[in-house]
Amino acid sequence: MKRFLLLSLLALVWAMCTLSAASPAADAEFRQAMAALQLNDFATGLHHLELAVAADPDNLRYASEYRQAIIRHKEFDRSIDFFAKQLADHPASANLHLNYGFAYVDKIPVTGSITQVILANTALGEFSKTVDLQPSWIAYYTRGASYLFWPRIFNKASLGVADLEKALALQQNGQKRSYYVRAYVALGDGYCKMEEMDKAWAAWQQGLRQFPDNQQLKDRLALHGDELVKLIENNFDPNKRVDTDLREIWSDGQR
Amino acid sequence: MVRRPTIKFGAAVAVCLFVTSSTVAQDAPGSRIRFEDITSKAGINIQHHTRTYHGKNAEVLRMFTAGGAAVAVGDYDNDGYEDLFFTDSDNGKPNHLFHNNHDGTFTDVAQEAGVAGGNDALNIVSDAVWFDYDNDGLPDLLVARFGTPILYHNEGHGKFRDVTAGSGLNKFGNTIAVIAFDYDNDGYLDLLFGNYFQPVNLLDLKEPHVLPNNLDGATNGGGVTLWHNTGAGTFEDVTDKAGLGKVTGWTLAVGHGDFTNNGLQDIYLACDFGTDHVFLNNGDGTFREVTERATGWDTKKGMNVDVADYNNDGWLDIYVTNIYDDYMKECAMLWQNMGDGTFTDVAQEVGVCDTGWGWAAKFSDFDNDGWQDLFLVNGLRSAGPENYLTTLLPMITTPGVDFSDVNSWPDIGNRSWSGYQRKRFFHNLGDATFREIGADTGVNNDKDGRGIGIIDIDNDGRLDLVQTNADQSPIVYRNVSQNVGNWIEIKLIGTKSNRDGIGARVELQAGGLKQIRELDGGNGYASQSTRRIHFGIGSANKIDHLQIRWPSGRVDQVEVPINRVSYVQEGLGLTR
Repeated sequence: MKRFLLLSLLALVWAMCTLSAASPAADAEFRQAMAALQLNDFATGLHHLELAVAADPDNLRYASEYRQAIIRHKEFDRSIDFFAKQLADHPASANLHLNYGFAYVDKIPVTGSITQVILANTALGEFSKTVDLQPSWIAYYTRGASYLFWPRIFNKASLGVADLEKALALQQNGQKRSYYVRAYVALGDGYCKMEEMDKAWAAWQQGLRQFPDNQQLKDRLALHGDELVKLIENNFDPNKRVDTDLREIWSDGQR
Repeated sequence: MVRRPTIKFGAAVAVCLFVTSSTVAQDAPGSRIRFEDITSKAGINIQHHTRTYHGKNAEVLRMFTAGGAAVAVGDYDNDGYEDLFFTDSDNGKPNHLFHNNHDGTFTDVAQEAGVAGGNDALNIVSDAVWFDYDNDGLPDLLVARFGTPILYHNEGHGKFRDVTAGSGLNKFGNTIAVIAFDYDNDGYLDLLFGNYFQPVNLLDLKEPHVLPNNLDGATNGGGVTLWHNTGAGTFEDVTDKAGLGKVTGWTLAVGHGDFTNNGLQDIYLACDFGTDHVFLNNGDGTFREVTERATGWDTKKGMNVDVADYNNDGWLDIYVTNIYDDYMKECAMLWQNMGDGTFTDVAQEVGVCDTGWGWAAKFSDFDNDGWQDLFLVNGLRSAGPENYLTTLLPMITTPGVDFSDVNSWPDIGNRSWSGYQRKRFFHNLGDATFREIGADTGVNNDKDGRGIGIIDIDNDGRLDLVQTNADQSPIVYRNVSQNVGNWIEIKLIGTKSNRDGIGARVELQAGGLKQIRELDGGNGYASQSTRRIHFGIGSANKIDHLQIRWPSGRVDQVEVPINRVSYVQEGLGLTR
């Protein structure tokens, strides 16, 4: 276990270093893109964002901003095709796999219920590749949370809890990040889905000790029974857009 | 592609406004809706059987054709009591015509009447509708099939004659739904078929790519067929001419009504595996598709169409069931007619979203308070403890899988799939919301429901229910609610219009409440309800105003007594 944590920590440090090392060419493309998007020139903005990601495929911010622009412009297949192409050139890029998975997640709310399942399953596959390539906090958190969206019948909540426990273990080491609260929220939700309510409350209470102002934790701890279940289930409604904006992560002292 | 709108602010305001601007009929004090299961007592001792297939893909084909349990309500012998026709679907199994004995019991007379047949090696019975196609005053019977339909002419004296051969109804199709309505107002009832599969012979499959090519947007279904009644005892296929030939959906239910209050019958098509369709009647024998503007396109699994003015605002609304379960959250759709050619889905807001795996759903006023309630049946397959979904998931998520290939689908075996679901009874509270009270009313059985026939078995003004179930016995529920409101029931008799009066719009004012009804020719999945117009009027003890707009365009003002069944003839008024 200690060896696992050490390796994970090293991977996280490596990821941080990667995130903060943008090339000048990529950065120039990114600036042009953001300027165009400010003028609602999506065609130009998306074009330059694609060039920025292509020049710096492991940059979390570029890929994230690209997907958010795609969401606003509703060109979901474009980002899916783009990341697939990038991955053909950079198959070992954990960041590309992560964002490729998110590109599928971004499309889920605008599709039919069966297509949602297919997209979610494809996204899960990409998140697993991210974990394999770079077992970082975000990799475990993302895959763990995505398992929780699956209906109970498919018994994926326990897999989600296992990933979230690993994310939680990773975040015990090093600097405290604001987004670490997400792991506590999701872990409690996972235990709730597994009907292990004592563990759910323990996770949320532990989170609240670390993040005493977090409203999501307070809301959960204030509810019981059907009301709590309804709150959790509403949280995993596939027809609602999931926040896949990674701004909190790349802006929290990393870039 | 436009997505279906969720309720908008404007619509929400409209929902609130009509409530405050109309007078609510007074419930009789202490009224409570209750039903009693009288199936056995009534002598309805039958069971439905889905078709058994043979060979490699037998189980998959059986699963995809697990409908066919239909009921049609009609007084075939004009004795003043409504009778019941039930369909079966397996090879050699007879259909059933239950004659109402006037004492709460029924007798199966299908064999003597000559309407028991239809399930053979080439055809699977799927639905039925009573309609007087030749306006002779005797209800005739159309039996829809995966195959070719059967038209039975009512000869009188309890006998029917198969007149299909000379009727022109000779086109092969996998028909799952049928309605009778007069789309061109020529005085003769036409037929609209909803076809599930394309016209391939499932009983002798030559090619395996017969299933939906996409589970959210299939384009390889059977569409619809519109049969024009020539008035000479024959029908002609006018699907293309009428502008309906481009529908390629997996049609499961078809419904009609005057959605725009212009005297013309419009249609709504509920399709499985993809978008529904709305067509408006041009008044010249053709229709125009208005789906994009009216409702937007959808990806749901449409199963049912019922049409009624649920909020008494003078515009017909539409209720469509989909699949809402733990694993799939496709809310049902209650399309509130906004009166401007658009509809807004208010199912979530008014409390009729959660249906389970929905099939038929029917509006009617079961406590006679002036507000139409909604009964809904659900459940796909109740079998063993294993769930088919866990078997199905690997197939669905296999990259590049061909859903249309019957060989891609795993056998269901003895697994359940959305089974053992409790039926829903949504009580209309009169304030634009419903409350689900299935358990209180006694109708929350867990059978695999399909059709609903609404019928007044004993002419007591309290509407009863018949529920059909796939591979199970039907259930007959007698309405035993106490302290219900006053009521009227009207049997319409057209003269210039079609004899059944289908499509007639009846407007009533009583107790300060305005209501409308329109007589339909078989709306709702796998079922046809009473062809009497029924109004509940709460504690009002007289009708202030009653007007009938016949399909011919004639408008009659009529006086009818309350708390009895009346017969009203076009141009003549009350006849008995």
